[in-house]
Amino acid sequence: CNKELDEVNINPNAPEIPQADYLLTGAIKNTSDTYWGTTNNLNSSLLFAQHWAKVQYTEEDRFIYSNSSFTALWSTGYAQSIAGLNKIVELADAQGNPNYKGVALVLRSWVFLLLTDAYGDVPYTQAGKIKQFVTPVYDKQKDVYYGILADLKSAQTALDPASGAPVISGDIMYGGNITHWKEFANSLRLRIALRIADKEPAKSQAVIDEIKAEGGNYINSNAFNAQLVYQVSPQQNPVAASFETRNDYRISKTIVDKLFALKDPRLPIYASKTENVTPQVYVGIPNGSTNSEASAIGLANSSKPGAYFLNPLAPAVILSYAELLFDRAEAAARGFTTENAADLYNQAIRASFDQYGISGNVVDDYINQAAVKYDPTNYKKSIGEQKWIALFGQGLEAWTEQRRLDYPQLTASVNTVLNGKIPVRFIYPGSEQSLNGQNYKNAVSSQGADLLTTKLWFDAF
Amino acid sequence: QDVTVTGTVKSADGETLPGVSILIKETKQASISDAKGAFSISAPDKGTLVFSYIGFKSQEIQINKNAGPISIILQSSDNALDEVVVTALGISRQKKSLGYAVQELKGQDLAEAKESNLVNALAGKIAGVRVTNSQGSMGSSRVVIRGETSIAGNNQPLFVVDGIPVDNSQLNSAGARDYANTISDINPEDIESMSVLKGPNAAALYGSRAAAGVILIKTKTGKSKKGLGIAINSNAVLETLLTLPVYQNAFGQGSEGKFSYVDGAGKGINDGVDESWGPKLDGRLIPQFYSKGVAVPFVAHPDNVRDFFQTGYSLNNGVSVADAGEKYDYRISYNNLKQVGIVPNSGQGKNSFVLNTSLKITPKLTLTANANYSKLNSDNLPGTGGSRSTSTMLQFTWFGRQVDINQLKDYLDENGKTFNWNNSYYSNPYWVAYENTVSQNRSRIIGSLALNYKIIDGLDFNFRSGTDYYNDRRKVRIAYGTNGTPFGSYTESAFTVSENNTDATLNFNKQLNDDFSLELLGGGNIRRQYIEQNDQSAPKLAIAGLYTLKNSRDPLISSNNLSRLKSYSVYASGQLGFRNYLFANITARNDWSSTLPAQNRSYFYPSFNGSFVATEAFDIKSEVLNYLKIRGGWSKVGKDADPYRLINTYAFGTPFSISSDLQKLYPNIVIANPQLSPGAIDLNPNLKPETTTSTELGVEAVFFNKRLRFDLSAYNTNSYNQILAADVSQSTGFSSKLLNAGKINNKGIEAQLGITPVKKAFTWDIDVNFAANRSKVIELDAEKLLTNYVVASNSAQVIATVGQPYGSLFGSAYLRDGNGNIVVNATGAPATNPTKQVLGKYTPDWIGGVYNTFTYKGISLGVLVDASFGGSIYNGTYATGTYTGVLASTLPGRAAEYGGISYYYPGNDKTKGTVRVNGTAPAGVTVYDDGIIFDGVTADGKRNEKVLPAQQYYKSFRNIDEANIFDASYVKLREVKLSYNLPSKWLRPLSLQGVSVSLVGRNLWIIHRNTVDIDPEVAFNTGNGQGLESLSNPSTRSYGINLNVKF
Repeated sequence: CNKELDEVNINPNAPEIPQADYLLTGAIKNTSDTYWGTTNNLNSSLLFAQHWAKVQYTEEDRFIYSNSSFTALWSTGYAQSIAGLNKIVELADAQGNPNYKGVALVLRSWVFLLLTDAYGDVPYTQAGKIKQFVTPVYDKQKDVYYGILADLKSAQTALDPASGAPVISGDIMYGGNITHWKEFANSLRLRIALRIADKEPAKSQAVIDEIKAEGGNYINSNAFNAQLVYQVSPQQNPVAASFETRNDYRISKTIVDKLFALKDPRLPIYASKTENVTPQVYVGIPNGSTNSEASAIGLANSSKPGAYFLNPLAPAVILSYAELLFDRAEAAARGFTTENAADLYNQAIRASFDQYGISGNVVDDYINQAAVKYDPTNYKKSIGEQKWIALFGQGLEAWTEQRRLDYPQLTASVNTVLNGKIPVRFIYPGSEQSLNGQNYKNAVSSQGADLLTTKLWFDAF
Repeated sequence: QDVTVTGTVKSADGETLPGVSILIKETKQASISDAKGAFSISAPDKGTLVFSYIGFKSQEIQINKNAGPISIILQSSDNALDEVVVTALGISRQKKSLGYAVQELKGQDLAEAKESNLVNALAGKIAGVRVTNSQGSMGSSRVVIRGETSIAGNNQPLFVVDGIPVDNSQLNSAGARDYANTISDINPEDIESMSVLKGPNAAALYGSRAAAGVILIKTKTGKSKKGLGIAINSNAVLETLLTLPVYQNAFGQGSEGKFSYVDGAGKGINDGVDESWGPKLDGRLIPQFYSKGVAVPFVAHPDNVRDFFQTGYSLNNGVSVADAGEKYDYRISYNNLKQVGIVPNSGQGKNSFVLNTSLKITPKLTLTANANYSKLNSDNLPGTGGSRSTSTMLQFTWFGRQVDINQLKDYLDENGKTFNWNNSYYSNPYWVAYENTVSQNRSRIIGSLALNYKIIDGLDFNFRSGTDYYNDRRKVRIAYGTNGTPFGSYTESAFTVSENNTDATLNFNKQLNDDFSLELLGGGNIRRQYIEQNDQSAPKLAIAGLYTLKNSRDPLISSNNLSRLKSYSVYASGQLGFRNYLFANITARNDWSSTLPAQNRSYFYPSFNGSFVATEAFDIKSEVLNYLKIRGGWSKVGKDADPYRLINTYAFGTPFSISSDLQKLYPNIVIANPQLSPGAIDLNPNLKPETTTSTELGVEAVFFNKRLRFDLSAYNTNSYNQILAADVSQSTGFSSKLLNAGKINNKGIEAQLGITPVKKAFTWDIDVNFAANRSKVIELDAEKLLTNYVVASNSAQVIATVGQPYGSLFGSAYLRDGNGNIVVNATGAPATNPTKQVLGKYTPDWIGGVYNTFTYKGISLGVLVDASFGGSIYNGTYATGTYTGVLASTLPGRAAEYGGISYYYPGNDKTKGTVRVNGTAPAGVTVYDDGIIFDGVTADGKRNEKVLPAQQYYKSFRNIDEANIFDASYVKLREVKLSYNLPSKWLRPLSLQGVSVSLVGRNLWIIHRNTVDIDPEVAFNTGNGQGLESLSNPSTRSYGINLNVKF
């Protein structure tokens, strides 16, 4: 009767053996959804970066959060993305398909980067290995950056675009084109090299040299931005999904003021016209407004984000050509390369305009403004401000770069609750206290109190 | 020399008794009375006949060959001394022979105090049984016996109807409804008795499913009828609100005192705000949602929530026919229930047919066939919870206190458009009630076939096969144009549930000699369970008003799930009795379950118990001490897992299609890509069965001519190797891990006390029951890495935490300094402690009930008061209602007349912060009078002096769970029942056998509670995640009349 009872217990509902291509599609989609979605983007980092502001229920814009506010990046990042990508690596090794492995490592490095940029010290070496580690230790942020730099290097080695090499499927970012994955991997390495540049410049230099020595290429066109292009419902962009049922967000007054000041042609793309006709046409909500202050301006007299961003088919941009050019400009400015920083800076602005289909004289006019011109004496200001504008909508990256470059200089409203400070990290999910208590405590004692205002290792200034 | 003795057996009230067992004491030969109560037996002259019958005292009579036909009148055994109770596997046993506590509830109590969910009838009546009532009369009820023994699993007892285990799931699906647990399909009118086997000691023979106790239900049969009997039962009950939140009526909708309506979505002044921090309700003129821009008086509508609810009612009508002949008996009944809920457009109907038959094929072979068919139909069940498209109380906890609910009743305006007081977040509540409906339709059959063959005297073979099978379908409609779901949606859910049990047993009973009696039973069981769920959803409708799955704008979302389980068991039990005062009982069972891996599939569990009746052993015949029994036992039961918990699986997502741009870039790309993601649980291929061991001791005593009855139990239950999906840090790659480790201890005492202070023509009985249970979570995983198991979460969590009682409430707390003062942040609002705290537990310290019964002639009055003390509840209604300013508790400080402090902003610049007015304010600044200073200290230890506007003050508590956790203790007037049996001399001329009328009220009054705004007893489902209230529907009281006529 054992055999009969065994048969009764065969699960008829879900596969026990997964397929790498299906896992890859799932990992890209799930990660992009959480990266671009409400918790990590609209309701937190876009507010911290002062790209967006809240027009209703403004608590988050005043930095009133609880330790259950930042669970989504952690839970999806680890239990969906990293777990799925690890499985792809396992399957790739078993099937002898290094390209699956390389792609999975690139994506996994990006997820770890998101995690450490937001929380600081996070589980890395013991993460995603439940059979060995039920309570993974937190690695120091520096070690996480170093670890993913090494992972990206081995991904680079694994990824083989030769025509006879094993092919991959289920790739909804690059359609299985391994060359573009190699470019994305190098671009990520450059991003991380700069992330640690204030703390470990020698390492930054080494990474950049390494890429050069490998003969590596970076993303070289907006056509090959690392991004997921969404589809119509139910695969619509998370921003579109939010605005279908809620009406909580407006563009921030900070960036509207800046775009007005620079006569930036991206303003009509970033912001919608106010519903009621207003003299300004585009009206931002000041970050940190109280509910009453925001509703005094009113839903109809303030600008939603632009139609480009509300479109269900809008992409979730992970790493753009514009960002890559800003990164190269900064690498040059810091002396890591011998390239022309000013030239790359201008190219980066052009790439950003190109990303939104803006070309022609307006671009030159814009670049030639004194307020835009590259300032070699304060590259952090020039790059910081322009990168901040170019990263519009990419809340997590914009907020991280603002923390690192300290430009643009943003101020907190008096209605905020952090004694005039803007959050510089996410609070760990409250569940870590109950589920991984000792390691959580160790991380807190090493990194500092589990507060929004505790500076992370990379954030030197 | 043998003589033939003939006669009849009757009860004291003149009914003939069929099936009475007649034993010749000397020869041990036996016979039974026939359908008319007649018997004929050949026995030695001067011998002794023993007449015994369940529920009656046995009687001995000496044979006298010259006596002629004899007439025996058996007295009912209405006390503990000779009571016969139904025990595991339906075995009738003398209560005195049992080594554990068992308590029975008679059918009459259930039928008169009619509850649509029969579980509720147990509330307050049986020691150690905790019933948590649902919201309103159509939802679920949870019953837990002797505390939660399983950390993660089902803690509901097993229900067995006439020997057939039946399903009591609460199958949840879309629609935000509190679907009733399915035991409510059983019509209380058909129940003869309910026997509560409390925990493993009593229920060990049921094994796997006994850890949480068993409730045995015996339905009525035609057996005890003499000829044709017809009974009619009719019942009408009204249902009204028992409790609502206490609302304030001083301030209306808006924010910071301002409000004016244009479109309800932000075009007016704060008209998109769904809170009541607006202007004073002093009759000032302001445009409102119904006034088409005209300024109309801004006044309170204090009953605007109450007036939404209606008086519910239920009508219950049933008829039964029973008959018995020499070779057969049957009972057939039909019952119809029509119920209308307190939420408009909610209700349900139920029809049930029950047929119980028995046929004596040969003198030795009896066939019993039972069938119970029920059909539940509901066009719409009341919406619950916090979903915008379906909830009732969500909208009312964010509600303009000035809103005139009558203006909302016609929810479409003259253009056929919906309108509402707020259009940012809500649809008109009547629209929600009438358009966003959830229907339920369940057809169920519980049927069994049994054969009894008397091999020889004292040795029987029994075979029984029974099935519980139902289909349950729900249709969830969200109408086109509903706020938050603009395209509407349509979902169909279907469940098929089937459980089949086949048992074969051999029973052997023998009086071995004058001293020893022996009863033995051995048998086997095959059990099959099958649960299938199919869900289909059109997530966005293509056109309005048509609810079909094809009417969809987006691809359909489909899912199905099939769960199968099979187990084999063998079991045995025995009782050895010595001189009717010393009894030893033993049971043993071995199960093989499909849900466990082959190497751990088989598990064995025994139990032992014994009883000693001191009064009989020492032949005590005292007026003071009538009866004294000591009992004790030890038992072990095992429990298998749910199906498919051994090997990890992956979950499919909707296939992702590729954008056309990408197709241009990569012509060979796959266009539709299926998605897979890792499962959330790391399963366990080496699962072992769960084990529960329990020790129980008890004393039963009867004093003063049975005027004082006392039954005390103490137990200690350990459950270990528990199978639980413990949450783990997601950094492990999983959300939870299936462990086989947890350990939980429950110990407690239960007492029942019966007192009869007056026993004359007027009788007064007092039945008191009391139970205290202490649980402690001892361990979660063997490595002791995990300290918390999360049972449920909303803002606060319910957890099992090592070293604490089960069901701890865990959440954010105030930040306090070393002296215990609450620390405020820079704005003057209380700060939150970054470390979460245990803030209480939902399980009570003790529960109890007092039932007073007064009888005089045919009149009887029963009054039940029950109480629960010591648990806590997270009051989600209070948390939200404080934030939204609708509750009366938000009045203090909101204006000078409510004690508000005066303050101003320097230069009228709100970004400068508040300054308290001391003396006179500077010229030109606006002075506000709604200031409150939070009683706390600043980070540097100074007394907080920062003035907060009332709105900000009250809003600052929402994320601090500690502020929203209340003591859940209560005392309730649970039941009042006045019944009158018409005297038989009135009825005889009308050819009626009995007429009784009763007036019944239930849940009439919350005599005491320590929480505000909600009924602390609300249950949310039958799961373990209790104690987290979240905008639940108000609880209800009911009162009605019951008429019972027997022909």
